[in-house]
Amino acid sequence: MKGAFSYLLLPHIWSSRNRARRRERGDLMRGLLFGGVGLFVLAALFGGAFWLTWQLDDYDELGDYLLRLGLSWLFMTFLAFLTFSGIVTALSTFFLSEDLRLLLAAPVASRRLFYARFVRTVVQSSWMVVVFLAPVLMGVGLARCAPIGFYLTSVLTIVPFAVIPVAVGTACTLLLVNVFPARRARDLLMLMGLLFAGSIVILLRMIRPEQLMRVESLPDVTGFFATLQSPVTPLLPSFWAGEMLFASLKGGWDLLHTGALWTTALAFCVGLRAADERWHFAGYSRSQEAPKARFTKLRGLDIIARLLPLSPVRRQLLVKDLKIFLRDVSQWSQLLLLLALVLIYLYNFRVLDLGRIPYMSGFIKNVYAFVNLGMAGFVMATVAVRFVFPAVSAEGAAFWLIRTSPVSMHDFLWSKFWTGLVPVLVLTEGLTMGANELLGVDPVLKVVAACAIVFLSFALVGLATGLGARYPRFTVDPSQVAGSYGGVMFMILAVLLIIVTIVLLGWPSTTYLMLKLRHIPLGPTRLVIMGASFVVAAVISIATWLIGMRSGVRALEAMRN
Amino acid sequence: MIAIHDLVKQYGKFTAVDGISLDVKPGEIHGFLGPNGAGKTTTLRMIAGLLKPTSGRVVVNGHDIATEPELAKASLGFIPDRPFIYEKLTAGEFLRFHAGLYGLDGDGVTERVQEMLDLFELRRWENELVESFSHGMKQRLVMCAAFLHRPQAVAVDEPMVGLDPRGARLIKDVFRRMSEHGVAILMSTHTLEVAQEMCQRISIILKGRIIAQGTVDEVRGLAGAGDDHLTSVFLRLTGGSALQELDEVV
Repeated sequence: MKGAFSYLLLPHIWSSRNRARRRERGDLMRGLLFGGVGLFVLAALFGGAFWLTWQLDDYDELGDYLLRLGLSWLFMTFLAFLTFSGIVTALSTFFLSEDLRLLLAAPVASRRLFYARFVRTVVQSSWMVVVFLAPVLMGVGLARCAPIGFYLTSVLTIVPFAVIPVAVGTACTLLLVNVFPARRARDLLMLMGLLFAGSIVILLRMIRPEQLMRVESLPDVTGFFATLQSPVTPLLPSFWAGEMLFASLKGGWDLLHTGALWTTALAFCVGLRAADERWHFAGYSRSQEAPKARFTKLRGLDIIARLLPLSPVRRQLLVKDLKIFLRDVSQWSQLLLLLALVLIYLYNFRVLDLGRIPYMSGFIKNVYAFVNLGMAGFVMATVAVRFVFPAVSAEGAAFWLIRTSPVSMHDFLWSKFWTGLVPVLVLTEGLTMGANELLGVDPVLKVVAACAIVFLSFALVGLATGLGARYPRFTVDPSQVAGSYGGVMFMILAVLLIIVTIVLLGWPSTTYLMLKLRHIPLGPTRLVIMGASFVVAAVISIATWLIGMRSGVRALEAMRN
Repeated sequence: MIAIHDLVKQYGKFTAVDGISLDVKPGEIHGFLGPNGAGKTTTLRMIAGLLKPTSGRVVVNGHDIATEPELAKASLGFIPDRPFIYEKLTAGEFLRFHAGLYGLDGDGVTERVQEMLDLFELRRWENELVESFSHGMKQRLVMCAAFLHRPQAVAVDEPMVGLDPRGARLIKDVFRRMSEHGVAILMSTHTLEVAQEMCQRISIILKGRIIAQGTVDEVRGLAGAGDDHLTSVFLRLTGGSALQELDEVV
């Protein structure tokens, strides 16, 4: 056992076991929340796959053809995802992982280390794909009353299918690390990956699958399928996987494609092992080198900050936070993905053809304004939990500097608040106003939505900053802080606040719209009730903002004491 | 023994280690001294097989680290300046895993682990997670791990950092005892008193080159320092005279 490569995986297994044994505060709540959401997603995937396959069954050969095409497309999407995921994961497991300092100093054969790391890379890169595929394939199998062989084939397909792209990704990483220093390569990859993910999402949206639902566009359907089929090539493992599964769905066994998939996977493993033995140590050694870091000086920030009417303390805190954020590719590059999602969101409103709904299009447009407000609220909460909530934790081991300097915790936390508020406000206000403009909603609702976003921004950013100070995690990476107990608590409170705000604004706004539609004037009583509703919404937001901040300041002061 | 010949490490145009050679014989404690950034840690990492030298050879117990890495590493105990320990493992689990890495197996492992935990006064922490350990305790745990497989050579980077006087005394005693048993120890340190007290020979490295090598007395002689304390000798050799300007700055 101790000579086997699996021995090197033991610390991770033992660590997971020990972590599971020692429960931390909020584990139950986090487990219930994430578990619930996870189960819901899995059920939705299963239901969707089952329903779609069930529907396709009615179209005989066309249904079979579409199912086959669908499987190939599904696997091709995963092929790209797994290759990229393999590149990023291998960078960490083979080159940047801290425990390599221990393992490489020990008399461990390079082949043994390779197998252990490769298994880890495959598992880490592909678990999401497996979790996604399991309910989908189960749904397809049950809808077609597939024999038990289908489920066995699914396992036999997924294993080599995951190994091939991850091996390719690992080989790319091996090459990259031998050319660039690993830390530089990681930044480049992070950026490339997000651009890649963003462009895939935009591309898929631009295909406009909703056109299929429109009867008048039926002549274009053939063209649509032609587009779909073009990238499905028989030379790719995704095609082999799709064919294997389709054959087993029909009760057969596609030996040719099974053989192709398995032999390719094994050949890639052997080739990769040989390359690893030859170049891994050289690459690892390079990854340990710390040549003078290239970085953006961001002098413009200092100039702009000098122009702002801020105290020297707040100015320096602001400049420090912005410089650290902008120099960390892993932080700011996530904003690119968010930007892509926002563009799709706005694009959806541009192509939304509400004019086809008779009589009610005007009213529905205005109802959409509130859907839009809710969406903007969720975007705001997500951005806040990812970027604002970890603001205090991001000080990390350097927090002693703040604690020992003559800076009040009040000044420190409020500086964090303003730094977070401006981008969140600009992003969500732009999103809401842009979408409402594209929809052409009533001018009064435009003003209500714009004001609501201002209040919600103050409330959610204040709450995120405050809770982030109450539940800081100084020892973990800022990207992991969002999933902590405080982060989950923030998301729950944020969602509640968004719902309450929408209800408080939605009711009077709907009343106003209905009366306007029927040409009935607003009476003074209605006006007062409507005004009161708006005021209550504003007061709740302000209270959330101030209480959140005050609680955060107190928590930091208690820490100092 | 540890022998290095004309070892060079370049990072691009920067030469961190510039052709150094040294030989640590069995039973010798060799002090490796130098200011920050002189190349001590880079040299030790090359000896441990964590960095690939640009040129030169490292031989541990007769095995070249480049051609026989497993044999060389099996006879070396390496204690880095920033050791990695799995934080979610207990001290006992970490040591048993470490023993496995060095091929130790069977009933003797548990006994050996407990022996080491006793020696470094960590026995009552055997079943506690490493994440709850203080810096000094982690340092002692790393030493337990490094000596678990009875290495014939030891490369250690700054062993006294973070240790209390009792811990420091313990480490010194362990090193002395190991040296008596024929273990070659190459120790990088900034604590010149430790070097003076423990090392039979010292090497002083500056900007990647060894500028003085020999017994403490020989190095004193090289620096023309008479009976001076090792700190004065070190400052004289490494250009620490700038310290005299402190008065003007402070």
